Amino acid sequence: MRRRVAVTGMGIISPCGNNTSDFWAKITAGKSGVRKISSEYSNLLSAKIAAEVDFNPSDYFGKKQVSYLDRVNQFALAAASGAWKDAALSLDAKEKERSGVYMGVGLGGANAIEDGYVRLFKQNEDRVKPLSVLMIMNNASASYISIEYGLTGPCLTISTACASSANAIGEAFRQIRDGYADVMLAGGAESFLTYGVFRSWEALRVLAAEDPEDPSKSCKPFSKNRSGLVLGEGAAVVVLEEMERAVRRGAPLYAEIIGYGSTSDAFHITKPSLEGQSRAISEALGDARISPNTVDYINAHGTATQWNDLLETQAVKKVFGDDAYKIPISSTKSMHGHTIGAAGAIEFIVSLLVLKNQAIPPTINLDQPDPECDLDYVPNIGRNGVRVNTVMSNSFAFGGTNAVLLARKI
Amino acid sequence: MSTIERLKKLFINKFDFNVEELKPETTLEYLGLDSLDKIEFMFDIENEFKIKIPDEQFKVTTIQEMVDAVDRFVSEQVSHSPSPAMSY
Repeated sequence: MRRRVAVTGMGIISPCGNNTSDFWAKITAGKSGVRKISSEYSNLLSAKIAAEVDFNPSDYFGKKQVSYLDRVNQFALAAASGAWKDAALSLDAKEKERSGVYMGVGLGGANAIEDGYVRLFKQNEDRVKPLSVLMIMNNASASYISIEYGLTGPCLTISTACASSANAIGEAFRQIRDGYADVMLAGGAESFLTYGVFRSWEALRVLAAEDPEDPSKSCKPFSKNRSGLVLGEGAAVVVLEEMERAVRRGAPLYAEIIGYGSTSDAFHITKPSLEGQSRAISEALGDARISPNTVDYINAHGTATQWNDLLETQAVKKVFGDDAYKIPISSTKSMHGHTIGAAGAIEFIVSLLVLKNQAIPPTINLDQPDPECDLDYVPNIGRNGVRVNTVMSNSFAFGGTNAVLLARKI
Repeated sequence: MSTIERLKKLFINKFDFNVEELKPETTLEYLGLDSLDKIEFMFDIENEFKIKIPDEQFKVTTIQEMVDAVDRFVSEQVSHSPSPAMSY
């Protein structure tokens, strides 16, 4: 028997704000979180831009924790805290056994990795910080959340690059739906804006060029002059609860998760496959037992690479047919950048906020339409007063993992 | 600055303690420090006093024991020319 799953809480740390209200206000106004980076190494990079989070750890943690937690773990805990408080959760010991944490993380403790290498190779020291292993290991975020809230159910970290946290949310949804858990904290985190990481992405030649007039406009999904992705950082966590339980305790009911599709392209380690993406969409729709034309809004993966935006457009057309032209589809990466491990969760929260507020955020920087990308990408200006009942969020990752989530207004 | 003063300073930099809580007889257990805190603190002590603390030789339970251990390592490892900073 498939149980129903509600979303009852949301928490976010992002380049567009560190709570859902600020975040929503910024993205619906089309304000970019992309900017010139200020680190000392930035003048060595070709594109000196990123979507950075403004975050003071002392606002959330005591001195000890600030030094023990890599930035990615700080983000994860802060986002989890937001979600927990939002859901006003209170669990007894027995309930905690049926509650778990699934987090999506791409790289993990990148700052700790870099700090360690700088000490060993640049500064010729013979040791690194004692807790380096614990800061680097990418299961730390999920484990720290589990420890903080005493959740003794399943605690996993899912790493599928750009689809990590979409997969984490989808798998957490299945845990509850299929009876393995009653409450799941699910989401993702990433904070890897270090010199080594920037150079690695630069080498792959997928990063956007800096917009010569305005660096904040450098991420241009679906635009003819798009040039690649802008790296970001952040974290997002949602609280998922078995529906009857949520209703009984009077929890906030943001949405019901109704479908999840998870496929692999099995094609190429970076190039997307039309087949893989469209099948993930179809599987999600099949899982939800709804027809394609039920979907009212799509939050695109929309990284602003040549390949993704083209293939994603084709995949949407393949599944939705002519209805594809009627469904608004926006890429909020144009504003919060590509947050890799956190992307799926941040973008799922965008989709939930669309349901909550009945408004749609734009794809900004869409100044030169691409004839091959001709859907309604909500260019530049958001929309209010829309009727949205069902939303879809796409994540199509390097490696070929595709994750699609569907949610419906309650 | 004496060894105990320097250790107290390290403590306050790293953890959220008040200086009044840090008396010679205060136990690490009382301060709520676990095994991870201890290895972190050993790292800071090694940096501050320019010594190396072998794993097995830091079985201290109080602040005074820590002071004694640090002084012993300093006299064993650091150059034997007298240094005012090392005076207790």
